[in-house]
Amino acid sequence: MSGLRAAGFPEREVRARARNGTAEVFPPADSYGDELFGEGHQDHERPASGSPDELDRARLVPPVFMPQRLEKLIELGSEPLYDDVDLSTAVGGFAATLPLYLSAFGSTRAGSGDLAVAASGQAARLGIPMVIGENMVPVHGYRRAGGLARSALPDRIAAYVEQVPDGVGGVVVQQSTEDADSEVWNLLYSDPGTRPLLESGRLGFELKIGQGAKPGLGGMTVVGADEAARLAGRFAVRDVLGPDGGQQLRCASPGTYTEEIVRQQLRFMRNNFPRARTWVKFHPGRDIADAAATAWRAGADAVTVDGAEGGSGWAPRVFLDQVGLPLAECLRRIGRPAGCLLATGRMWEGGRAVRALALGATAVGLGRAALVAVDEDPRDGLVRLVESLALESRLLISALGKYRVGALGPEDVWWDGDPAVRDAPAPTQTGTPS
Amino acid sequence: MQQTVTAEAGTAAAQDGTAGPNTDGTVPMPPPLGEHLASPALRSAMLVQQETLWAAREFLRSRGFTELLPPLVGPVTDPGGRGAKALDVDYYGEPYKLMTSAILYKQASLRGFGKLFYIAPNVRVEPPETAGTGRHLVEFHQIDVEMAGADRDTIQEIAAGLLTHVVAHVWRTVPEELTALGRDRADFAALLAGDFGTVTHAGAVERLAELGHAQSPDAEIDWAGEAVLSRQADRPFFINDYPKGSRGFYDREDHERPGVLRNFDLIAHGGYGELVSGSERESDYATIVTRMRESGENPAKYRWYLDLAREGIPASAGFGMGLQRLVRFLTGLDALWQVSAYPKLPGVVAP
Repeated sequence: MSGLRAAGFPEREVRARARNGTAEVFPPADSYGDELFGEGHQDHERPASGSPDELDRARLVPPVFMPQRLEKLIELGSEPLYDDVDLSTAVGGFAATLPLYLSAFGSTRAGSGDLAVAASGQAARLGIPMVIGENMVPVHGYRRAGGLARSALPDRIAAYVEQVPDGVGGVVVQQSTEDADSEVWNLLYSDPGTRPLLESGRLGFELKIGQGAKPGLGGMTVVGADEAARLAGRFAVRDVLGPDGGQQLRCASPGTYTEEIVRQQLRFMRNNFPRARTWVKFHPGRDIADAAATAWRAGADAVTVDGAEGGSGWAPRVFLDQVGLPLAECLRRIGRPAGCLLATGRMWEGGRAVRALALGATAVGLGRAALVAVDEDPRDGLVRLVESLALESRLLISALGKYRVGALGPEDVWWDGDPAVRDAPAPTQTGTPS
Repeated sequence: MQQTVTAEAGTAAAQDGTAGPNTDGTVPMPPPLGEHLASPALRSAMLVQQETLWAAREFLRSRGFTELLPPLVGPVTDPGGRGAKALDVDYYGEPYKLMTSAILYKQASLRGFGKLFYIAPNVRVEPPETAGTGRHLVEFHQIDVEMAGADRDTIQEIAAGLLTHVVAHVWRTVPEELTALGRDRADFAALLAGDFGTVTHAGAVERLAELGHAQSPDAEIDWAGEAVLSRQADRPFFINDYPKGSRGFYDREDHERPGVLRNFDLIAHGGYGELVSGSERESDYATIVTRMRESGENPAKYRWYLDLAREGIPASAGFGMGLQRLVRFLTGLDALWQVSAYPKLPGVVAP
């Protein structure tokens, strides 16, 4: 080095790339599996950007006059309190005790081990639905050799089924393009082990079209040399993480979607699995309103929008920082939903959750928060986190003079921003399942 | 005492002289294999099956079809539908599948054989809920026919001719087996006269709605709906024009009516339900790839088939006629397992 300096220029990043090449496109490979990613993630060399986001900057604004509180007063015959708020909600065709569900974690090490099994059991106890991520079967298998021990997917389902109370909750399983080779949905639909869920109307399948942490890309994980060799036939495995440690990048394809492909895949799911619920998850694409409307028209029981703030999995730095619409903008573009809308991305406490519900979401998903909570306490961490969120939600919703989740509306949120954004009328989507 | 399994919700109890579950909504379950193999009803069914196969081969050969023997395993099989899974096979370390149907191989074979058929064994790990329909087995056989250059009218004429020829032959050669099982030749009068009905999928959905059965217009006719239509009919009938999204990527979409497939089912009357599924086939490479995506398939695993399609596969039409369903229809037995020597019911682990 000559001592050349470039003040005001990202000199340090350029030098890092000059030294380490494509490995610098990603967070450090040695943090994989122990750290959760998604927007706001602070890797060792870069500051987090854009936090708090627009949805967190918005405020909930109680009115003075509260006609719905009067209705509640009349119903109760006494002044309503915050615990008179009913949080039970229909989530994507399931009954849920709260407007919450457990988001998919993906097949990364952090999201598919004991923590995920612990989270499954606690979600069941809470009576909220659970989504299980893609690529579990091609990566981890379904039944282990000998059929005695089982792998991550059936373990999580078993933990859920054992602990869920009657009449609430549900299990939703994603299938990626690579999963289609393993026939994950066919496997579950024909497995006697899932019959209790199927017969009680509590099994669903989610078509995963994208995710918030890396819109437009498929799943990515870091694998060692042995696993790279094992998975090479089923996934693209690329040597872009540098020579140190022999780690490689495993990429699932994102899959190709057009309006007709989305419509037909959803119809195909409904045709082939008539007793399962049909969910679809989108990345925060700029055409999210069209995509959501297409899915509802094709009969989707739920549409999940994962804001650019979302993601527990591995993602290139440029995607974490610079790609995809924030959740608030997704909700604004969708406007009044024509079906069940689920929102995820940085959810962990009542304020952000209630703002998302007010902006049209039926329920919100817990991803990273759930993993951190069960890491803190594998027995009760998620339960306690959700109890806190539920208490805050009841306090907030009652303060808004409302006593049901569905009563929330855009009038409950104030945007401290551009008046043009703040005052833009929400587009109204219409459409009925065809 | 025979074990029973509850039929799916919505399946009406059988009427006199028609197939279906018992009046209490259950269908009989197989006895132990040794007892089943020794049963007189199975013996009758196997005699009927033998004559069925003889007549099917006679008819198809007389029409210029060549019999090939189908493959048993491959890197890919018919993606199927309605939740059935293919069985996985470790093939020298490669993930192969047992054939759920050899449709893709039928299309490929058109390069050398313009009119071909298989008597094809198939394995589908059906959802356990289908154990109660009386119409599903995990292991079964199809009379699998494909014809280059044919359109739907032509291939339906072949399917109807095949069914008529088989039924006539069986009544001619083993009438005593059929009458001993309680079948009446008069029930086959319209069929033997070649008199088949036709309805569109949309028409069938409308009919079911009139009868109070909710049927999705975007999906295959469900088992219960199919049973209702079958019981009401006095002759076999074709259901044409299934909607895209209800069938595999190889069924050709009607260029003039996007979203409608140039396909069909042939439904037996008397409650016996679907005997045949068939279609004009998609043969255009780009359309096949797009349709694969629309049905959620990964085109990468169909490489050998897509490479052939890129080079050119002849346009064709074809169908598969379920052998055990055909024998059950002829014999009038209650459940499909009764016409299989080694029955494997969905969700039931059997030898």
